[in-house]
Parts: sequence; C-alpha cells; structure tokens
Amino acid sequence: MVVDDFRPEAVLGVLANHGVRCILIGGFAAVIHGSPYLTTDVDVVPARDEENLERLSAALTEMHARAWTPSEPEGLPFDHSPRSLADVKVWNLVTDHGRLDITFTPSGTDGFEDLSRDARHLTILGVPVLVASLPDLIRSKEAAGREKDRLVLPVLRRIVDETGT
Amino acid sequence: MRGGSLIKEARRRAGLTQEELGERLHTTQSALARLERGRTEPSFARVAAAIRACGLELVPTLTAVDESDWSVASVNLRVGPDERVRRHQAALRFAAAGREAMRRGGR
Repeated sequence: MVVDDFRPEAVLGVLANHGVRCILIGGFAAVIHGSPYLTTDVDVVPARDEENLERLSAALTEMHARAWTPSEPEGLPFDHSPRSLADVKVWNLVTDHGRLDITFTPSGTDGFEDLSRDARHLTILGVPVLVASLPDLIRSKEAAGREKDRLVLPVLRRIVDETGT
Repeated sequence: MRGGSLIKEARRRAGLTQEELGERLHTTQSALARLERGRTEPSFARVAAAIRACGLELVPTLTAVDESDWSVASVNLRVGPDERVRRHQAALRFAAAGREAMRRGGR
C-alpha cells in the first residue's frame, strides 16, 4: 500500500481526538518557529504514563500506523500495546496521513514533562497542538550532534536572538 | 557510499582526469574507471591513497545510525514527482498555518 496522503494536521488531529498528550518537535516545530528547513514527517514526544500510551495506541490503530523498515518502506503491522510502545526509543511509522516519528526522550531532554514546561499551545488548521519551544529544540539538536542538526542550528540560534524567544 | 564514488568525487573536485589521477596512482585510466564505477571494490587504504593523490584528506567519522531522513526519502520514492511536490505543498500549508498561530500568540 502506497501512502497516498500527507496531511500533518490530520496526523496531529487524530492524536488530539484521542486525547493523546504529546509535544510536536523536530522539523515541523522548528518551521513553525521560523526555520527555513521544511520537512515531510511529523515528530512527537508523548507522555509515558500508561493511560496516555493506551490513547496513543488507539490513535495509531485509527491511522493504520505501520512500522517503517529499510526493507519495507510502506511499513509493517506491529504490536503497539502500551508496554511495547514504551519499550522502543524511537518509532518510525507510516500512517494513512503521512510519516510519523515517535520519540519518548529526545536527545538532551527528559521527555514530555521536561519539554512541556516551555511548550506553546497553538491551534493550527483547527487542531490543538503543543509545540516545543525553540530553545528546547536547539538543546535537543545540540545534544543529538548529527550533521543535519549542526547545519540548522545557526539559523535557529539567530531566530532566538532576533525574536527574543 | 562506495569507495569508488568517493574517489570520483575527489578527482572531480581536484579537476583531474582519470588518466591524470591514474598516473599519480601508478595505474591505468581503465583500472581507475572500473574502481569509480564500482566494478571493483577498493580497500579503505586504496581509497584514502587515491583521495590523498587528489590533494584531499579522507577523515573518517563514526556516528550513530540515523534512519529518520531515509525513512522519509524511501516513502517519497514510492510516489512520483507530482505527488512529492503536492506533499511539500501540504507541509508548507501546515507550516504557514503554524507560523500564523505562533504570530497570534497561543499560550
């Protein structure tokens, strides 16, 4: 099955409709803060409590989430019980509405509780979204230390300087 | 990345022909062409020596495997150029709405 739709607001809408507590991070969060580097996947950090993981699992079922693997880019069905979800550091998923990455503790952070302190509550295309703060995104990218993160850091730091974020 | 591709990249960056680099490496143009095309897989030492002969240094770095970009690219490869553009338009639309929401303030 080829993913024939990409609507980030639909991915986040399903999560919101199921009451999943999560924070948008990664490229989309950075773009919302002004980054010029566009991405085509949604990255979220969910809260790790069992109730939230159950809601997350239900949302993943509705989106027909499948686990991306290098040999199966269209994704494979996988067990997403609350326990199995929490056991994996990063989930790269393919959904009916596009790519979704789930990370519980992004580099340099302690996860949802840590990031939620400075996150912004926004409504984007009618969907309530909690967006990680720019300093938190910078902190995480700095800690990840990947080449692609190093490339984007100068402009993110400049946005902080210019906007006083 | 294959060793031959690295050699080719270094040779082109140095502005050398295959014959010129072949001479520096004491090999033939055809042997170098086979290396660059991946017909023969050079050793790491061979790649490093060829790059050095181009006036460049091969500096290896070890980094954790990160599949996040490839996981996006591999999905994009399943659709045609028109659909890839449409997906970026959808991303742009969402990003623009997000920036507008940020401008309005949120809480």
